[in-house]
Amino acid sequence: MFEQFSNFRNSLPSLKSFRNMSPLARRELKQGLWFLSPWIFGFLVFVLLPILASLFFTFINLKITDGIASTPKWVGLDNYQYLWNDNQAGVNPSTWFKGGTPGALWVTLAFGLIALPVGIFLPLGVAVLMNHKHLKGAMFFRSLFYMPYIVPFVAAVFLWGGMLNSQTGWINRFLVEILGMSKNNVPLWANSGAEEWGWIYATYVLMGIWGIGNAMLIMLAGLQGVPTELYDAAKVDGANGWQTFWKVTFPMISPVIFYNLTLSIVGLFQYFLVPIVVNQGTGRPGGFTMFYNLYVYRNFFLFQNMSYGATLAWVLFMLILAVTILLFWSAKYWVYYAGESHS
Amino acid sequence: MKKLLYVLSLLIIGSMVLAACGGTAPTEAPAPETEAPVETEAPAETAAPSSDKIQIRWFVGLGTGTDPAQLPAQEKAVADFNASQDEIELVLEVVPYDSARDTLATQIASGAGPDIIGPVGVGGSNAFYGQYLDLTPYIESTGFDTSVYEPALIEFYQTEEGQVGLPFLVFPAAVYYVPAMFDEAGLEYPPANYGDKYTLDGEEVDWNWDTLIQVAKLLTVDVNGLNATEDGFDATQMVQVGYANQWQTHVAYQASYVNGGADIVEGDAPGSYTSAMPDAWKEANKMVYDGMWGEQPFMATGPLAGAPEFGNGNLFNSGKAAMAITPLWYTCCLDAFRDAGFEFNAGTLPLGADGQPHGRVDADTIRIWKGTKNPEAAFKALSYLIGPEGTQTLVIGTDDVPAAYSGLPADPAYQQPYIDGLLERYPFTTAETWDTFKAGLAYPDSPSAEQWQPNWNESWARQQTFFDLLQNTPPDQLDFDAEWQKLVDDLNAIYAK
Repeated sequence: MFEQFSNFRNSLPSLKSFRNMSPLARRELKQGLWFLSPWIFGFLVFVLLPILASLFFTFINLKITDGIASTPKWVGLDNYQYLWNDNQAGVNPSTWFKGGTPGALWVTLAFGLIALPVGIFLPLGVAVLMNHKHLKGAMFFRSLFYMPYIVPFVAAVFLWGGMLNSQTGWINRFLVEILGMSKNNVPLWANSGAEEWGWIYATYVLMGIWGIGNAMLIMLAGLQGVPTELYDAAKVDGANGWQTFWKVTFPMISPVIFYNLTLSIVGLFQYFLVPIVVNQGTGRPGGFTMFYNLYVYRNFFLFQNMSYGATLAWVLFMLILAVTILLFWSAKYWVYYAGESHS
Repeated sequence: MKKLLYVLSLLIIGSMVLAACGGTAPTEAPAPETEAPVETEAPAETAAPSSDKIQIRWFVGLGTGTDPAQLPAQEKAVADFNASQDEIELVLEVVPYDSARDTLATQIASGAGPDIIGPVGVGGSNAFYGQYLDLTPYIESTGFDTSVYEPALIEFYQTEEGQVGLPFLVFPAAVYYVPAMFDEAGLEYPPANYGDKYTLDGEEVDWNWDTLIQVAKLLTVDVNGLNATEDGFDATQMVQVGYANQWQTHVAYQASYVNGGADIVEGDAPGSYTSAMPDAWKEANKMVYDGMWGEQPFMATGPLAGAPEFGNGNLFNSGKAAMAITPLWYTCCLDAFRDAGFEFNAGTLPLGADGQPHGRVDADTIRIWKGTKNPEAAFKALSYLIGPEGTQTLVIGTDDVPAAYSGLPADPAYQQPYIDGLLERYPFTTAETWDTFKAGLAYPDSPSAEQWQPNWNESWARQQTFFDLLQNTPPDQLDFDAEWQKLVDDLNAIYAK
């Protein structure tokens, strides 16, 4: 990754190269910058400035509802110290389950352990099926699997909420009336208690599967980009289907998997929509649905504690950055880029 | 391929991180407000200033007033006021409900707050506790006539900072009930007058919570037509419930109805505040929990109340509840109920354990921001809006512009015209129906269920989370006592922040 940054830096025009430009090239550069200026202005004023302001907030005690009643004071690293000891945030693992609350970071990571493998391998599996030479009506099935992705996710979550309603949902009715399960044994899905939090995460994962169409399509594109001569060579070498997949297909599409994994991890840290719609964003039961990003939102917008909300957001940024760097570092061990040498 | 993926990854990660740190977040479900939030959001509106007159900005959005249908009356009130003035220009600013708190907080924090704010209920006001102007000097200097109001309503707006509001709209509570369901079950209707007895199984009994619960059980019916007291009743397949706590889903609301208001915070200075919710409040909430999840349920659980068949949360409106206790503002949201051919009437609030009825009186008013640069002009505009002319336009309506707000005017002179409007809207009701509501004014929750608590937004949300847990968690997965203690501990921690 650092090599990429270095290459990017080297590709930027230096002051010297600007001086050496021809008048035409210089004029074109100026015109280009002129056309870009609305975006640059928008970025500086509406993105960069708020980001810097939010960083500043983390060092003061701004609670917006205090308004004119008090003037925010410089508190240094107090907000970060408070966050470190906040068992509801759970940034410090030693605070997990203190006071019976798992901690928002624990919730996010625990859910990730279930959701990430499903979010990566299920689209891959479906893409492999979609790419199978014996599949009839491949276009139809591809469209079918992709179509749910077009439905606004919030609408899909409401629909799933209705289907998985523990008392009136048709899935439980099916389990009871068709499969003959006891009413006392059917899962409560998102209404499960704290002791059965696994069912809640399973419910969320089930809802997430609805939107795998996009990841499947990217995987499929990767699969279709694998040169067929590699499969021919594997066949000549006597490889069976499983060996062909692990020795040929998987390495060849590992960049695509890496891409999906990166996005999935970033998305995991920002997980928000499902818990706020299905469990009303309350963290019910017992904090097991209080995801980190939801906790940021509640502090920022519901409690209007801007300083603490900003602190949570910046720590979220650090976490995402750290995990992303780790992921990019790990790429050299398992991501294969055809045609590139490894030093 | 590798480069493209790197660039794509970095671009998307960058934009996601930027969005996480600086972007807007989806809307949170609104906290309960005195007036139910409207379904349609209106775009923010700002009338352009047109002269050198003193501009008074009127911020609407914390409660009712943001529905497009409410705009014409508000605009007419503004236009009429401006036409009567040569020194003041009233400017209407309507902000969608979901973003109103953030918008107002930002304006106040930046010193650019509006001059007047409202209509807003007690809860919405608490989010900005300490931001409202003491009106006492302006009431005295202008000779504003407060004698038309009930003294209790004047006191309602007195805090340690003075008279921070004046009465405008009040919403007494009552038992809404469906007569047809009582007829079908062969039950007497809830009494229409406070003090009247109820006849159950041929015996005259007090209309208290025990009676209401017993009646509610008889009105709770499963798919086989059995009521909750009968053998074989299937609680997993209820088709009708006896009682609904319609949009009163909060620890404080239920406790206030059952046991009456209570000071729930001890201490008089930051650092000394502790939770003082009485045991009676715990018992009241336990009673409601049993009503949802007990052996003989008479209320809908969270999943049932949230199901489309039961109105997606608007349970009484779905025609699947025989009774509901909620304030008068709920008349906002019964058109579908009426259009489906259902009829409702009003009964008195049941007696509590102390033999007294305990109700709730919500109240909306318009307030003045403490930081206004023109308090006299702001008070003049406020006096107009909550006074006779404003009440006529905003609450009663005129021939060409329908009313904007639905609430019982605090000024008794305008109560009958408002009731006449309700009689027209719900033709199956009678004058007696609304007299029952008006009689509920004598039983306010004092202190209000929405009373101020330290760190109000967070403490209120924590209590709401507790009630949400009750609604959605069956007894085999919930230790009520432990959860209550956790609530108290959490509140103490929140108060200490």
